[in-house]
Amino acid sequence: MNDKISESWDSCVKCGICRSVCPVFKEEKSEPFVARGHITLIQELIKGNLNFSDKLSKEYLGKCLLCTTCVESCPNNAHTDLAVITARTFVNKIHGVPLYKKIMAQVMSQRKVLDLSVRMGNMFSSFMFKTVENVPRKGVNVRMKNPIVEKDRLLLPISKRTFLNKYPESINGKNSKKVAVFIGCAVNYSYTEVGDALINILKTLNIEVIIPKNQVCCGGPIYYAGMIDKAEKLAKKNIELFEKIEADAILIPEPTCATAIKVEYPRIFEYFSNNKYLEKAKKLSERVRDPSDYFYNDTDLINILKNKKLKKEHSVTYHDSCHLNRSLGIKQEPRELLKAIENLNFIEMKDADRCCGNGGTFSVDFRETSLKIGKRKAQNIINSTADTVVTGCSGCMMQIAEALNIENSKISVKHTIEVIDKALRGEDL
Amino acid sequence: MYKNKVYKKIKSLLGKRCLNDKLSKVQYSYDATQKMYSPDIVALVENTNEVSEILKIANKYKVPIVPRGWGSGFSGGALNIEGGICLSLEKMDKIVEFDKDNLMVWVEAGLVNYDLQEFLKPYGLFFPPDPSSWKFSTIGGNIAENAGGPRAVKYGVTKNWVNGLEIVLADGTVLNVGSKNIKDVAGYNITDLIIGSEGTLAVVTKALLRVHPISDDKKTIQIVFNGIRAAAEMVNNILNSKIIPTSIEFVDKDAIKTVDDALNVGFPKDAEAILIIEIDGGIYEVEENSKKIKRLCEKDKSIIAFRVAKNEKEADEIWIARRSISPTLKRIADGKLNEDIVVPRSKLPDMIEKTQEIAKKHNLYIVSFGHAGDGNIHTNIMYHTDNNKEIEAAKKAMDEIFSFCLKLGGSITGEHGVGITKQDYLEKQVGSDNIKLFKNIKKAFDPKNILNPHKMRL
Repeated sequence: MNDKISESWDSCVKCGICRSVCPVFKEEKSEPFVARGHITLIQELIKGNLNFSDKLSKEYLGKCLLCTTCVESCPNNAHTDLAVITARTFVNKIHGVPLYKKIMAQVMSQRKVLDLSVRMGNMFSSFMFKTVENVPRKGVNVRMKNPIVEKDRLLLPISKRTFLNKYPESINGKNSKKVAVFIGCAVNYSYTEVGDALINILKTLNIEVIIPKNQVCCGGPIYYAGMIDKAEKLAKKNIELFEKIEADAILIPEPTCATAIKVEYPRIFEYFSNNKYLEKAKKLSERVRDPSDYFYNDTDLINILKNKKLKKEHSVTYHDSCHLNRSLGIKQEPRELLKAIENLNFIEMKDADRCCGNGGTFSVDFRETSLKIGKRKAQNIINSTADTVVTGCSGCMMQIAEALNIENSKISVKHTIEVIDKALRGEDL
Repeated sequence: MYKNKVYKKIKSLLGKRCLNDKLSKVQYSYDATQKMYSPDIVALVENTNEVSEILKIANKYKVPIVPRGWGSGFSGGALNIEGGICLSLEKMDKIVEFDKDNLMVWVEAGLVNYDLQEFLKPYGLFFPPDPSSWKFSTIGGNIAENAGGPRAVKYGVTKNWVNGLEIVLADGTVLNVGSKNIKDVAGYNITDLIIGSEGTLAVVTKALLRVHPISDDKKTIQIVFNGIRAAAEMVNNILNSKIIPTSIEFVDKDAIKTVDDALNVGFPKDAEAILIIEIDGGIYEVEENSKKIKRLCEKDKSIIAFRVAKNEKEADEIWIARRSISPTLKRIADGKLNEDIVVPRSKLPDMIEKTQEIAKKHNLYIVSFGHAGDGNIHTNIMYHTDNNKEIEAAKKAMDEIFSFCLKLGGSITGEHGVGITKQDYLEKQVGSDNIKLFKNIKKAFDPKNILNPHKMRL
């Protein structure tokens, strides 16, 4: 670890503003679950006044969504996210990593193992999982009682065919533009229809597409869990792969993966590892784009959409994914694209930029808190009176679908890209 | 020591909400002063009964006990400087009773000021005290420090809006003081004695607050000056023209620069001072008063920009610049002596000029901003913590500022409280007889001196 990293959080003056915005603090109401408390723990650890031998450190530093709402509201720009991730590396050193996270890291580290696991899952799908339909978004429940995931939890479905298997490595286009696609595991294996929509839009715009087969998991979930050396290996693989690929932009329909590559890769090499790869990571970072950003700013899509209609009129509200909104700074673009669709009635919900409570493995480790936060989101969605909630992130989609389901709501959950695709085709949502 | 016994007793009362591990203790050891004093036990209470039981234990074993809200105080009021029990009331945040007909509300002490405002808004009501920390300070904390805010010019401070309290005495006795009656002169006014007592006399568990209708209209005006004295004089001009604005805030050159660096507000480069004025009232009244202020400003040659916010968004932009000053000061230097002196309003120009003179003399950055409408200035003496010379100079400058402030008939603290940061100056302001009386009052309430000991020289 580079000493410079502590500068990123030492600007904290303990004013307490973070308490007024943190979604976890709102539920827990005590100092160990807010940015100021997290920063104090890592500061005292570095000073040598404290160690993390107490088991509580796992809860205190694990129970953070890394939603960065605190970073956004901090007048001194203290990076609590970096403080928490760094602290987690120390917690891991002492207490180890939970078995399921170890397996996750192992499986995610190799495409073949990941493919195989998902194929096995698919094969035994009917035995292991129960498909749940007629819910805000189709998903599965685990059939058997197990220590990791609750039986009633609405999980990502498993696609029969992965995105990377489905499409060729390159798709021609007559347009002078050329993009590469990094698809991300959730869309590759589960919400493959989001990937389909992305390709359809690119085809409509006649843009040449490269889909490198050898792309590996971005490593985001592994990095956020404090297993930085493992994430670093994946980062290197992706950096080496994509630096050879000529494309104006690398589109990632998964803001968590996009954040990992755009924001976290440079941090890994700046703070946690030797910085031989730093320049390369920064170069890659510049090309990473969320599709809504790329379509809105670099293509004519918005004008095309103005003449398009969904088959039926819909009222739609939009949820800001934390990674898309705060980490990537994309807030208006998806809204503008959606508003352009003629018979789409856009309704802004209350606190659209509040975290949905998913936070990746947070929702596994702290389900109760995660669902409490999700309930607030679900309530705001329901109050908006929209019939569809749109967001740009699979994690949010899964969480919101479950939160709405618990509230017995039938409001459907869609990805921004899916809605745009449906409008282009004149289909119903 | 009885530490273990005390812990066991509180643990059996609160279970998981009683903590004594190192990690938890360190997270309850600081407030916005950034000083750290670890408590021995953290008690996360949920109701008055628990507070009472814990006080009984603390009193029996003579353990210091420090009430705490959201830990955003600037005078160290919530610090366990002698260890003991940290009595955290953050989980007591309910609205207990809303009495719309009497325009009053009973709330628990841990309720955040802003959350109360959000609750009242749909009814067209508000709670006037609005410290800059309103989103992250509790009603209990506001009462303990008698907090004020920008609106004090017209609406006064916390004490003007509290009609009664539920308090727990050092021996665990729970009692109600005050009432819903607007007029009530039966007995001593204990409510007002508790307000501003910084947790040294009793623990406030609930408060009966008066609320006020939101005015039909309001306007926010920003006036930029090229001279500091002119800004201070404008404050008196406005008030002498029979206009009582809700607030008149003042920002000096260095504060302007700091905020501009942080938020890119785009203030004029030659700005020496800014006044932010908010007026409220009926639609006609607000229009009339805003015109009056404009006319006053047209005559003043030292004004380089004048702006009336057209809508709420523009008003927010003006206010965010003011509210962000305090937390952004770290950009100038990592250390600051943060004072909130107050002088009679007419003496404001003298105080500001003297402050600048003192800054120059000691070669220091002193950032001044605050509530010009009530004479309350936040004086921030900036220094680098690794520079001993600067630290010394800062302390000297502070002494000089305090002395001059007292000479003008001012006070060492307008709203932050005395706590530990200003207790060395308290006697100088109030005199030894007053201190003697303070001590006697303290003894009457808390004979064993367990409640927030060693604050305010008690």
